[in-house]
Amino acid sequence: MTTDTIKHKAYLFDATRCIDCRACMVACSVENNIPMDKTRIWVAGIGVKGEYPNLERATMVAHCMHCEHPDCMSACPVGAYSKAADGPVSYNADVCIGCRYCMNACAFGVPHFDYDKGLVDGAFIDKCTMCPQRIYNGQEPACVATCPTDALEYGEREELLKKAHERIAAHTDRYIDHVYGEFEKGGTSYLILSHVPFKELGLPEMTEQPINETTETIMEGTIPFAVGWAAVLTAVAGVSRVINKKKETATAKKEAAPHTEAKQ
Amino acid sequence: MTNTISRRDFLKLGGAATAALAVGQMLPPLVAQAARETGQIDEQGDGFISSMCEMCVWRCGLIAKIKEGRVVKLDGNPEHPHSRGNLCPRGQSGLMNTYDPDRVLTPLIRVGQRGEGKFRKASWDEALDLVAGKMLEIKEKYGPEAMVFSSTHNLSQVQFENLLYAYGSPNYGTQRSLCFNAMITAFLLTYGIEEPARNYENADYILMVGRNMMEAISTSETAELSHALDRGAKLVYLDPRFTKTAAKASEWIPIRPGTDSAFLLAMINVITQNELANCEFVKKYVQGCDDLAEAMQRYTPAWAEQITGVPAATIERIAREYAAAQHNAMAHPGWRTSNFINSFQTERAIATLNALSGNVLKVGGCLSTEVAAEGAGLGAPPQPAYPRISALRLDGTPWKYPLVPLKLGVFQELRDAIVSGEPYQAHGWFIARQNPVSSLPDRQKTLKAFEKMDFIVTIDIIMNDTAWFSDVILPEASYLERYDPLLPVGDKAFLRQPVIEPQGEAKSALWIYKQLGERLGLGEYFQYTDEEDYIRQQLAPLGISLEEVKEKGYAEMPEAEKSEGELIFNTPSGKIEVYSETLKNAGFSPWPTWEEPLMPAEGEFYLLTGKVAQHTQFGTQNNQLLHKYSDEPRLWMNAKTAAEKGLSDGEWVEITSPVGTAHSLLLVTQAIRPDCVYLTPGYGHISKGLTTAFGVGASDSALHVTYTDPISGGQALSQTFVTVKKA
Repeated sequence: MTTDTIKHKAYLFDATRCIDCRACMVACSVENNIPMDKTRIWVAGIGVKGEYPNLERATMVAHCMHCEHPDCMSACPVGAYSKAADGPVSYNADVCIGCRYCMNACAFGVPHFDYDKGLVDGAFIDKCTMCPQRIYNGQEPACVATCPTDALEYGEREELLKKAHERIAAHTDRYIDHVYGEFEKGGTSYLILSHVPFKELGLPEMTEQPINETTETIMEGTIPFAVGWAAVLTAVAGVSRVINKKKETATAKKEAAPHTEAKQ
Repeated sequence: MTNTISRRDFLKLGGAATAALAVGQMLPPLVAQAARETGQIDEQGDGFISSMCEMCVWRCGLIAKIKEGRVVKLDGNPEHPHSRGNLCPRGQSGLMNTYDPDRVLTPLIRVGQRGEGKFRKASWDEALDLVAGKMLEIKEKYGPEAMVFSSTHNLSQVQFENLLYAYGSPNYGTQRSLCFNAMITAFLLTYGIEEPARNYENADYILMVGRNMMEAISTSETAELSHALDRGAKLVYLDPRFTKTAAKASEWIPIRPGTDSAFLLAMINVITQNELANCEFVKKYVQGCDDLAEAMQRYTPAWAEQITGVPAATIERIAREYAAAQHNAMAHPGWRTSNFINSFQTERAIATLNALSGNVLKVGGCLSTEVAAEGAGLGAPPQPAYPRISALRLDGTPWKYPLVPLKLGVFQELRDAIVSGEPYQAHGWFIARQNPVSSLPDRQKTLKAFEKMDFIVTIDIIMNDTAWFSDVILPEASYLERYDPLLPVGDKAFLRQPVIEPQGEAKSALWIYKQLGERLGLGEYFQYTDEEDYIRQQLAPLGISLEEVKEKGYAEMPEAEKSEGELIFNTPSGKIEVYSETLKNAGFSPWPTWEEPLMPAEGEFYLLTGKVAQHTQFGTQNNQLLHKYSDEPRLWMNAKTAAEKGLSDGEWVEITSPVGTAHSLLLVTQAIRPDCVYLTPGYGHISKGLTTAFGVGASDSALHVTYTDPISGGQALSQTFVTVKKA
């Protein structure tokens, strides 16, 4: 299977193999011509844990999870994000207005805004693209291609899931029995195997229900709700106005009455 | 523990780096016409050219992506056995060495005081005439031995050596004594080869003694170890530091520094006393097998426990596990093995453990001693005989160090001879692609030796610390801009070729040595018209054209004949010499033996060194990409020790050794023994010509004391003891 024919693209990361050498990071920065003070890829995880000499170490290569149901896309008011049918979540700087809703929406802290130049030079949110210039030309993404220990792999999501489960089955003592990203918030295209609890790799605990399904259901209800609520409030306002009017009239009559009485 | 990069750290980096951002923005679109002719790049200057990496000495194959005559990306070459499609972080960042804004791009001649950093630009003719004139003057006045030549581990070194031998100096400084003298000397004496090859597919039980394979990366070997661990192979790893290799090991043993050989000797004791060795193999191939048990009798696990701090039961268990794995057990020979003055004995014990497991079998063994001769089958330019050299070598090889091979030498010992003028005074130093000011221990001593020099010339691509103190700097083309002689690997000879035009006036080493040779009246030793002609002469016996090799990146070599018969070892006895008459005759113990190393006094720490995955020695700290993705260099100290000393994470400390002082930020960590500190090596540069690296980190070479192993000549790089206090 060549990389072009992959229908649903995904990464598989195996924390037991990662040696934290950062070849993937340099490769990403060079391939995508990332400025020296920026990065699309970083090290997450606890590093060294325990007390000398009983130690363990866990790190993860973190970049965009390419969610099946992307919250960045859901939160974006101008449609700057899109999810391709074959996997990658893309960002379009030309459309972006720099509102930074995506930053707040992403549970993995992936998009980041360039505060140095964002307001002057236009919006700048940057994140992993899955290297379209490579994957649509028969190459693996730059980070995957260079990984010396095959901690990062690239391929068909279904195949990678199968591989991941086979690896867990073959070494039950080595892995946590779970592939992160298989079901988390409806699934991601970055799948993760680990020897330590996933939260130690900096990954949040997630339900299987996509977050944006919940939020969008709520958001979709907001207009009818707003319209309805407005109607209710208008009605309340109308009624209270009528009541107040009546009260005012009554008070006026009441006020007039003692006057009359005084006259008496 | 903050040993990871966070995004916030990157945001902090800020503007300093952006101004110098150079990837893809610096070069005029000039492209080698040859690459167009062979179809590697098109008319626009776009395409892919294969070549070889030079970010370390592993020399991975690479494929450079060229856009409008500039290199924009490097990928591993899947056809090269050292990379197999992968590159490490250094390999990935290689184009930043080439596009470093600090490149020296014209010859420079010093105008101020040495170390002031004042130079003027010069033409190649002026610079070469000056260098050749000085070298001829020194030769005439004091003899050729008054010139010291030093260079390290590169593909053009054969022509460097040609210049050295044709000029007639015995004084050759390689950096090998700072690296692997202990390993090579021990394996030469035991197995008759410098370094056995490893075959991880057949390894089920791997013992590594300070070989930090996951950080001191050799791309294919690191991958092979990782795959073996995936498969379920067991790795026992000895290191006073919890390195990234320790994190992957099945068992990490934080052994007391300098006592590895006691641990290994006790393993040999257990195996021989209990007759657990591969008997058939040992009887047939091992010299000294009958007396080994008796010679090792005193090295019991209980004895080793007192020295190493590792429980006797652990040593005994590991010895039994190792023996049970038979020829699928490997004691890794190591790489930078010069740690203590007893490191030669550590390597002898490693060689012995391999002999006992019988793992050099022709089929199914995990070590191989059948290493093909380098360059066999390739041609070379005609080579006239060299003048006879009668002067002693200033580094004491072999008159003080009889067992050290001449091509290794004892580099660090040169300086005492230069400073003292004994046995004679050296006057000039020719340095190519080497940085002795940063690499040698005791930097002050190196600078003192420099003061004795009438003339220093350095060939490099940037203003490293040695260039900063030189009289003339000759700018070399980077590894992406030049040809080097072919490198045979297995059944192929790989080509390093220019993937872009050299920037400025940078020139290849092959060109520089020939130009100097001709000016020194030694033209007959340099019988090639240019770099391409040199490689054509190499290819002549194979009948392959340079154009074909340029396109493919390599030439197929005729398959070397594999010997079918018995294993024969290139030692005096023809066997693996666990017992060595050669050692005995030189006045050393014929058996692997325990030598007590120095111990730190109360309040002192072992100063450990060791690589990080993002840097090669002291040569890559100015690479902006590696600077960006490596951790800030710090002094590691155990958390408990730091608490006792009232030191906290992130504060400045002063480190003092018998030869120098350095200041560093402190990293308080669990990942190191309480009696050790570790300093990220290769930082603390003096040269202000390194704008990225200058002012970053502390210099380990300013702290290291010169200690030389009397047998292998290795510099004991972890034998320096330091005190640490609040700065």
